[in-house]
Amino acid sequence: MEIVYDYGYLSHTTHAISKTIAWKEGMNMSPFFKKRTKKNKVPTIPESKILENSTKIISPKLEDNIYEINKIFQKNMDFLIRKFNLFGKTPAVLICLKSLVSTEKIDRDIIKLLQEGEPLSDPSQQVTQYIINNILYFSDVKEVSELSSFIKAISSGKALILIEGEEYGIELDVVEKEKRSIEEPATERVVRGPRDGFIEQIMTNISLLRYRLPVPEFQIEETEVGKRTRTKVAICYMDDIVSEDLLKEVKMRIDAINIDSILDAGYIEQFIQDRPNSPFPQVQNTERPDKVIGNILEGRVAILIDGSPFALIVPATFNQFYQTSEDYYERWIISSFVRIVRMAALIFSLTFSSFYITVLSFHPELIPANFVVAAASGRQGVPFPVIFEVLVMEFAMEILREATVRMPQQVGGALSIVGVLVVGQAAVQAGFVSPITVVIIALSTIGSFATPSYNAATAFRMLRFLLIILAGTFGLLGLAVGIMLVLNHMLSLRSFGIPYMTPFSPGNIKSLKDSIFRAPFYWLKERPAENHVRDAQRIGKKVKDTTKNNFLDNNGGDFDET
Amino acid sequence: MKHSDSISSIQFASIVTGTMVGISLLGLPRFVVQEVGNAAPIASLFGILCSLVGVVVVTMLGKKFPKQTIISYNKIVLGKFLGNFFNIILIVFFLLLMGLETRQFAEVMVGALLPSTPIQVSIFLIIFLCSVISFQNVSSFAFIHFFYLPLSIIPLFLVLIPSFRDIEIYHLLPIFGHNVSINDFLNGSLRIGQAISNFLVIAMIIPYMKNPNKSVKSGVWGFLLGGLIVFSLITITLGVFGEVTILEMFWPALVLGRMVQVPGEVLARIDAILIISWIFAVFTSLLSYFFFSVRGIAEMLNTEKHRVIKIIGFLAVFCIALIPQNIYEMYDYILKITTVGVLLIIPYPLLILMIAKLRKKKGDTI
Repeated sequence: MEIVYDYGYLSHTTHAISKTIAWKEGMNMSPFFKKRTKKNKVPTIPESKILENSTKIISPKLEDNIYEINKIFQKNMDFLIRKFNLFGKTPAVLICLKSLVSTEKIDRDIIKLLQEGEPLSDPSQQVTQYIINNILYFSDVKEVSELSSFIKAISSGKALILIEGEEYGIELDVVEKEKRSIEEPATERVVRGPRDGFIEQIMTNISLLRYRLPVPEFQIEETEVGKRTRTKVAICYMDDIVSEDLLKEVKMRIDAINIDSILDAGYIEQFIQDRPNSPFPQVQNTERPDKVIGNILEGRVAILIDGSPFALIVPATFNQFYQTSEDYYERWIISSFVRIVRMAALIFSLTFSSFYITVLSFHPELIPANFVVAAASGRQGVPFPVIFEVLVMEFAMEILREATVRMPQQVGGALSIVGVLVVGQAAVQAGFVSPITVVIIALSTIGSFATPSYNAATAFRMLRFLLIILAGTFGLLGLAVGIMLVLNHMLSLRSFGIPYMTPFSPGNIKSLKDSIFRAPFYWLKERPAENHVRDAQRIGKKVKDTTKNNFLDNNGGDFDET
Repeated sequence: MKHSDSISSIQFASIVTGTMVGISLLGLPRFVVQEVGNAAPIASLFGILCSLVGVVVVTMLGKKFPKQTIISYNKIVLGKFLGNFFNIILIVFFLLLMGLETRQFAEVMVGALLPSTPIQVSIFLIIFLCSVISFQNVSSFAFIHFFYLPLSIIPLFLVLIPSFRDIEIYHLLPIFGHNVSINDFLNGSLRIGQAISNFLVIAMIIPYMKNPNKSVKSGVWGFLLGGLIVFSLITITLGVFGEVTILEMFWPALVLGRMVQVPGEVLARIDAILIISWIFAVFTSLLSYFFFSVRGIAEMLNTEKHRVIKIIGFLAVFCIALIPQNIYEMYDYILKITTVGVLLIIPYPLLILMIAKLRKKKGDTI
């Protein structure tokens, strides 16, 4: 396992180096490799010091080995060292960390067999080979001769067997980690669609993906990130769809991460995004395996991180942040309508309150005549200027939202009743804010909740404050300038080289069919072009490809053909 | 993966249109009518066709030098000294134009939208908006143009189309005007040329196209769309108001916008919304000027430090915008500057094309 990984690591680095050089020679700068200036050959994950000091080879004397390992692990409460006699005569020892292994397996499947097994008859045969081949029935077994890899294996939860007089030890995978059951993800609920979600264990997540994509083209490559945590990071893609350049770039960016710990997918996201200073998310995250599969099949790359129930999907365009996987499960007219509603909500949440301020404080001539009286009488007695009123209310809304997220669920309901209903009503009655302001703020806040992606909605909520201040100071000009600042930023953003606003600008008719409007499936014949997929066709022209297990016939239901 | 620093033909056309549709539209009908009276539609058509020659020549030059911008092939064709001299003229022209048009924009803002806000604020905001955009990537510039084009054109048509019913045919007749001399007629056409001379920006963009050979076709299409907007705006404004009334207004197009009624009484007046879309249009053309100046200076000095140039350019434009004492002086300056502009868009590229043919200079082919 380790050797394979090392080779992979080396080849990635050399790829990266050659690619960077090639790009420097080509004059036109690509947004792709803008930041990467130098590349050093220092491995991103150096060996830990303990391992460096003990690169000795296992000695035939059992006591020496035990001494070396004891030096490192002795103090640990879960350290287990079990001496026994192999086949009833040769002294041997089993070493592991109790907290990570299944003790039942060790008792029943290892020690019992080794103690009671038949000693080998042919003395020329190696004892370890004999044990692996004839005695143990473990699938994941390795023969190791270096002490350092032994120590590494112990800390990753493997059991080791050392035998007196042997220069090789046996490494057995008996890892059993604690995990929770598969539940419906709380952040992305659907009315219609699969209910399973990712959990923290990467292997379970991979199995959730694998059974949905039972084809050999579906590849999952693994690497390790984090000097201390050694977190497993896997990238998943379709071998014949994904663009090679994208794949290389993803690998390169992950390899370049140099940090001690990776505790969640968010760590990786913040290292691989293009513009760290942008309010907009440039990497999509999801807890839903079906969403990951959908994106992989559209030519994107998914990144799974051990210990995190979130998968990252790159590249991500703005288009993806108001879509849900459910849009494809429901009929297209309904999905299109829902998407338009979401888009309207998003624009609402960004501009509604600032537009209200401009109209009320700078351009009252815009208000229709019938409404002027209502607007004026509502504001009668309110001592503050509109901008201050709106700012305070928006801020109060943010506080309420944050409080509701952190509260235990049982208290959350009470909080929202007291916070929103009572305080809102009282504020109006006290003449603190005008009732219209409350309506506007509520609308814009609800608008931001209608966005499926939490981080994109937060970006818009943040930018709303910028717009409010600009609109409150410079009127419509300020509002227009603010909107343009946001739009220009989004237009110049890129995620893994793909323009962020892709189907809108640069325009792409084919991808535009699956943007604000979700076209019926028979229109979406091709995968999105912006991902530069190698196999573009998604929906075939014929009824169905001929397969062995068609319900009716072998010719794909083509009855007319005789 | 095809690197994304390449511009498609449609984006190229949208840059041409986006640059043309800009500040001058509000006041343009008045300037043309001032010269030729009722012959304004014909004169503007003539002016547009003359400028079309300029577009074709500039794009043909781009085809001849598919890897160089105007800054580079000036030097190749005219020699280093003369080339650099003309480069400086071009850059100064665009900086001056940007400064004055920013001022014009700010005057409209003060006049129509924010009467009590100091004029410097509007000037500052719009130049600031242009200078925070990164010019490192030409494609971002193209994306911005492509995205804003519908946002600025569609509202314009929403104003123009309902105005059709207010057109009085007798305002437009006789179509050749009352005793318009050839000189006046040419002057009227010149005004159009002055207003749309800014399309020269494309000479800076052609080498970044996916296929520079397509630049002639898409350039002409973009220009024709922009020309159509200019022509229909002038015709409709004249048709609605008539010669005499137009001369009394400062920004006839803005008044046209104020006349539009929205059914359903959502907003009492729609012109504020129109002004927002007009701000988008202004922004795209100012961005083009700034793009030309900044990238031009960077290319002349052979540097990549766009940020420094942008800061200096920002200050320069800000100062230029504050030079005119009042709106009349401002229009005076603009008319003078843009006359030079007309020289730069038609005779000058023709000259370069001719010299390039004579000296048998050619850029590298792709």
